[in-house]
Amino acid sequence: MEQDAQLVQQCLQGDGSAWEELVRRHTRRIFNICYRFTGNRTEAEDLSQDVFLRVYRTLASYRSAHGGFATWMTSVTRNLLIDHYRRTKRDRVTDSLDDAMPVVENKESSGRRPDEQALLGELSAQVQAALTHLSPELREAVILRDLQQLEYSEIQTVLAVPEGTVKSRINRGRIELARILQQMGVRPS
Amino acid sequence: MNWTCEQTELLLTDYLDGLLPADEQRAFDLHVNSCARCTPLLSSVMHAMSSLRALPELETPPRLVYNILDSTLGPRETVSGWAAFLAWLKSLASPKFAYGAVSLAATFLMFVTVSGSVNWKKPKLADLAPSNIYRNTNRRVHLAYAAGTKYVSDLRVVYEIQSRLRQDNEVPTNRENTTPESNPTPGRTDGSGPASPRQQNRANDVSSQLQVLAEEVPLLSGKLSLVSSGRLDFMTSGKLGFVIGGKLGVR
Repeated sequence: MEQDAQLVQQCLQGDGSAWEELVRRHTRRIFNICYRFTGNRTEAEDLSQDVFLRVYRTLASYRSAHGGFATWMTSVTRNLLIDHYRRTKRDRVTDSLDDAMPVVENKESSGRRPDEQALLGELSAQVQAALTHLSPELREAVILRDLQQLEYSEIQTVLAVPEGTVKSRINRGRIELARILQQMGVRPS
Repeated sequence: MNWTCEQTELLLTDYLDGLLPADEQRAFDLHVNSCARCTPLLSSVMHAMSSLRALPELETPPRLVYNILDSTLGPRETVSGWAAFLAWLKSLASPKFAYGAVSLAATFLMFVTVSGSVNWKKPKLADLAPSNIYRNTNRRVHLAYAAGTKYVSDLRVVYEIQSRLRQDNEVPTNRENTTPESNPTPGRTDGSGPASPRQQNRANDVSSQLQVLAEEVPLLSGKLSLVSSGRLDFMTSGKLGFVIGGKLGVR
């Protein structure tokens, strides 16, 4: 975190390599948040690019006293994702659970057998499909807590809502996700 | 403490994240263990959470970082001419490239040595001509193939002889058991030669094959002798030894 703050200072002084380092450090995390929220790689790439563009333009407004750089970036990402969701809402009106045919993800193999990998890939795709059927406010809360492993206080900062609301959204998000997975036939073994 | 299903649903996340006070946690556990509605709810939410947390972190798309840098810092400067060549040379100075280059060179040297294309005492540039390498490799391969074929052929002869000798040794035993001692039919019965035309033919076959073998394998030629009657005798114990290290010997 301190290193991020230092890199931000260097960026503000016009150091291009410091910015490059910041981009390399955070691209994967931001891309993953965008992908889990949208469920679409191309959209996630475009949104990640937009996030960094906005961060670059508003870097001077970042104050380390208000939280870590990563949390601030996550807030920017969340705002862009919500904007994007509202913009594209009309296109998704016809979406239904039956249409959510999961696409198997291209993920790291981590030394697993092909059959295990295929099963895991299928489960991942189903979970991703279920995730995209949550309402955006529940989805972002679940992503930040269960995928990004953020603390409640950090989520509170990112979402700009009280801690009680954060807990409530995470709770409802998890129950709703379990219900959608059951509807899709994914049950605990 | 009296616990309800509504409380379970409301405080599920607190329970799962370990945020409930000890007495509430106990009440939660007691209720869930005995409630037909809350047990599946808890297990399905726990399953959903574990599935979420098992989602893999995706790799960054290869071009994404460059696209971000291009859109923020502007397109990078492209170098050309000598600067580009020097940059390319610099990129070659990596351990991965050096390892690959050394492996390739070692493989080439091994290939050239095995093919016999290069005489390392008097190396010539012409030895590295592709046509020379091809000709020498082709010759080596054919020689190796011929030697292999001959070796297999020799082995077949030896096995044949062994099997014939084994059959030959078994026949007198059978004859003793099945034929009367006074044999009215002509033929040798004193053990100095084959007693029947069948045995005679077999002995002739074996002797002719041994002659061939003796011509091909000089080591054997001095140790085997053929009796003029057609029956095989050996200078030593009368048994044919087996191939050791590709050579025939007599045991």
